[in-house]
Amino acid sequence: MAILETDSKLVQEYQHGFTTEIEEDRAPDGLNEDIIRFISAKKQEPEWLLEWRLKAFRWWQKMPEPRWAHLRIDPIDYQAICYYAAPRKRGEAEGEIDPELARTFEKLGIPIEERNALAGVAVDAVFDSVSVATTHRKILEEKGIIFCSISEAVRNHPELVRKYLGTVVPLSDNYFASLNSAVFTDGSFCYIPRGVRCPVELSTYFRINALNTGQFERTLIVAEPGSYVSYLEGCTAPQRDQNQLHAAVVELIALDDAEIKYSTIQNWYAGDKDGKGGIYNFVTKRGLCQGRRSKISWTQVEAGSAITWKYPGCVLAGEGSVGEFYSVAFTNHRMQADTGTKMVHLAPHTRSTIISKGISAGESCNSYRGLVQIAPEAHHSRNHSACDSMLVGDRCSANTFPYIEAENHTSIVEHEATTSKISEEQLFYLRSRGIPESDAASLVVKGFCRDVFKTLPMEFSVEAVKLLELKLEGSIG
Amino acid sequence: MTMTLETAPTTCLPGFGPEAFEAVLAATRSKAVRARRRAAFESYLALPVPHARMEEYRRTDPARFPFARVEALPLLRAETVPPSGRPEDEEFDVVVDVSESGCAIADRSGALKDGKVTVCGLDEAGESDPETIRALLGGKAQAEPGRKYRDLVDAFWNVGLFVQVGNGIELPQGVLVRYRLRTPGVALLPRLLVDIGRGASATVVESFDGPDGCETLTVASREVYVDAGARCRLISLQEWGDEAVHVAEDWARIHRDATVDLLTMSLGGKLSKVAVGGDVCEPGSHAWMGGLFFGGEDQHFDQRTLQYHSSPDTTSKMLYKGAVSGEAHSVYQGFIQALPGAIRVDAYQTNNNLILSPEARADSIPGLLIDADDLACSHGATIGNLDEDQVFYLRARGLPDAEARKLLVLGFFEEIVERVPYRQVQDRLHKQLERKLALV
Repeated sequence: MAILETDSKLVQEYQHGFTTEIEEDRAPDGLNEDIIRFISAKKQEPEWLLEWRLKAFRWWQKMPEPRWAHLRIDPIDYQAICYYAAPRKRGEAEGEIDPELARTFEKLGIPIEERNALAGVAVDAVFDSVSVATTHRKILEEKGIIFCSISEAVRNHPELVRKYLGTVVPLSDNYFASLNSAVFTDGSFCYIPRGVRCPVELSTYFRINALNTGQFERTLIVAEPGSYVSYLEGCTAPQRDQNQLHAAVVELIALDDAEIKYSTIQNWYAGDKDGKGGIYNFVTKRGLCQGRRSKISWTQVEAGSAITWKYPGCVLAGEGSVGEFYSVAFTNHRMQADTGTKMVHLAPHTRSTIISKGISAGESCNSYRGLVQIAPEAHHSRNHSACDSMLVGDRCSANTFPYIEAENHTSIVEHEATTSKISEEQLFYLRSRGIPESDAASLVVKGFCRDVFKTLPMEFSVEAVKLLELKLEGSIG
Repeated sequence: MTMTLETAPTTCLPGFGPEAFEAVLAATRSKAVRARRRAAFESYLALPVPHARMEEYRRTDPARFPFARVEALPLLRAETVPPSGRPEDEEFDVVVDVSESGCAIADRSGALKDGKVTVCGLDEAGESDPETIRALLGGKAQAEPGRKYRDLVDAFWNVGLFVQVGNGIELPQGVLVRYRLRTPGVALLPRLLVDIGRGASATVVESFDGPDGCETLTVASREVYVDAGARCRLISLQEWGDEAVHVAEDWARIHRDATVDLLTMSLGGKLSKVAVGGDVCEPGSHAWMGGLFFGGEDQHFDQRTLQYHSSPDTTSKMLYKGAVSGEAHSVYQGFIQALPGAIRVDAYQTNNNLILSPEARADSIPGLLIDADDLACSHGATIGNLDEDQVFYLRARGLPDAEARKLLVLGFFEEIVERVPYRQVQDRLHKQLERKLALV
């Protein structure tokens, strides 16, 4: 089948692969307690946070790197990474950002300046290790919503950060989460007061620019009773031959009747077609449905990174709480992804839904890995999971590893999964109606992902479809 | 074999070290069998002792296998005896009785007379036909390497049987191998080798039973070769008493246009860990694997499967049904694996579980490992209780609640039970299921 072969000439160039020449302020490479003190001092952090970081670092030193995922990871030299790199201020007036940086974000289509803003989206942009601007501040302030970088939150709202930081992903949670807890540099903090429905979508845009740096962002979202927030996250990085590490931690907390919708479009640089370079995306994301009838919904479009290791999960601790996970994971060339979700049902009448679509092309390896756990107390709980994989080409692989553990006799868990190649009949049907091969294939793939794309906020949905089309180009047609 | 003192104790299971191996080797007469035992022993030594931190054993702690409390039976030799005339044997051509005192083969229908069908001891077969045994014992069917307990049996087995059905022969009723243990503290390691010739067909049934309160350990290894166009059914029925531990591993290699049915039913024992694998290795081959497990009280069942597609144009279906009541815990884990180039493969994997009481637990881990593109592989897994609408429907028609539930559970399992082609065995299964249901 000619149309399914990867044509190397047509391979899609990474659009966001440019670098930005800016002076940076960076820590010496390597990791030790002094580096952590350096980061903490740079951020003018209180003593308790430094202690917390050091505790995490000490844990991390004792932990082995996880090896259970279906991934081939070249050894990572943690001492060769720079753990702090910040664009150096050139003495602009307070509140203004480096014009070079502004241009970078403009190229990426990120509206930092409010006049350029897409209506309804408030953006916090993170460049390497620091957060550079947060838009729409005024509207948010009126509602009592706090949306700022985590470093700012540590300075301005220490009591909130201290209360919630590490409560969902403890500092000893796993290897990469511990590393993040020790060295995290920036990320967003979001607090929605009781009963407030956030009027705009909040968004963070992450970009790794500096060479040999890791990005370790930490995002914390707290939704007070009865509140609602939709949060978007996007990521890009320049094209470089070396692998770069991105180990983020995201914690969500939803109290009674609160709802958090978290959407990600991940388009980190994935390496070239021979697998050289690219980002190692080792991320811990977890939401705690602490309140009754609370709801956390994860939507992710994973289209980049050389290696993805990511399992956004929900801990359903509040009675009647709801967890959702919608995912499209696309891999091409030599990319590897081991991604999925964890739904931990702790309370009665909890519900969860998992819809995962995996598309593998080229010589990539795409795995779904998920856990559905029903605790003995979680009576009358319900889970439904559907995981479909599509194979484009005969050199890629697709795997499914669902884990189901049920300890309650009144709960129902259902799981189904399929793996197959793009349907010949559907392609033939479309082609016989005059649609060219490549358009037909892209239409089928978009249809395959529809269940997930329709859960994305509008702006992101458009972006996701565009991104997938770009990524598919060269693989099909 | 030379080895240092350091390696022996760390990788050997209690009672199965170099000394015990030398003894079992000395008792083996066939050169071909001895060579295979040696190779298996080397592989056994090279593997670590499984522990609860290994992925496969996270849910079934191998520390619960009572190796330290049991002693292996000496090598049992097979002898030919006249048929017993018991009514339950009537449905079979050949009946083999294995107990701690020996292994007796009874040819009921005269099927073994003309030499086209063989049922004999494995060591004896190795002496009379070393070429065949050497070729078959090579472990070709065992698609997955490095399995500690299988290597243990392949090295140390104390009862070995060889079943061979010649090309084009149809064995009308099949072979029953009945394992019975009555002595506490013994370990039985049965090794079964089945070879079904071109276009032949046969059924082999293995049953295991013993009294309650009798702690025994059984570690079994079965290997089945199904030649082109042949049909083979391998049924295993595990009804040990409540103190027995059962570990078993089956592997089948299915050639062009051949079919295998691997049916595993686990009802007895305190702890049972069974692995079944089928390698559909040539175009047109098909593997069906399935079974049931029903755990009550504090029973633990672990069922593992592998549908191994090493060739294009192959199919496989899998259906495991389980129920747990009391404080029982069941684990199903299994994979469909399609190797690179295994195109036009159709494979399905289903695992349905019923949790019938508050303290019971069921885990299901189905999986797909797909390295080829033009295929359709799917799985489905469910865990839940009986459908209350169905219970209501039956009660509305005058059935008492308990009766309605019993009927639904029996109906749930019937899909598996009806695949057993023996009336007597079906009746026994129904009785066992009803006995278990009475305790729910």
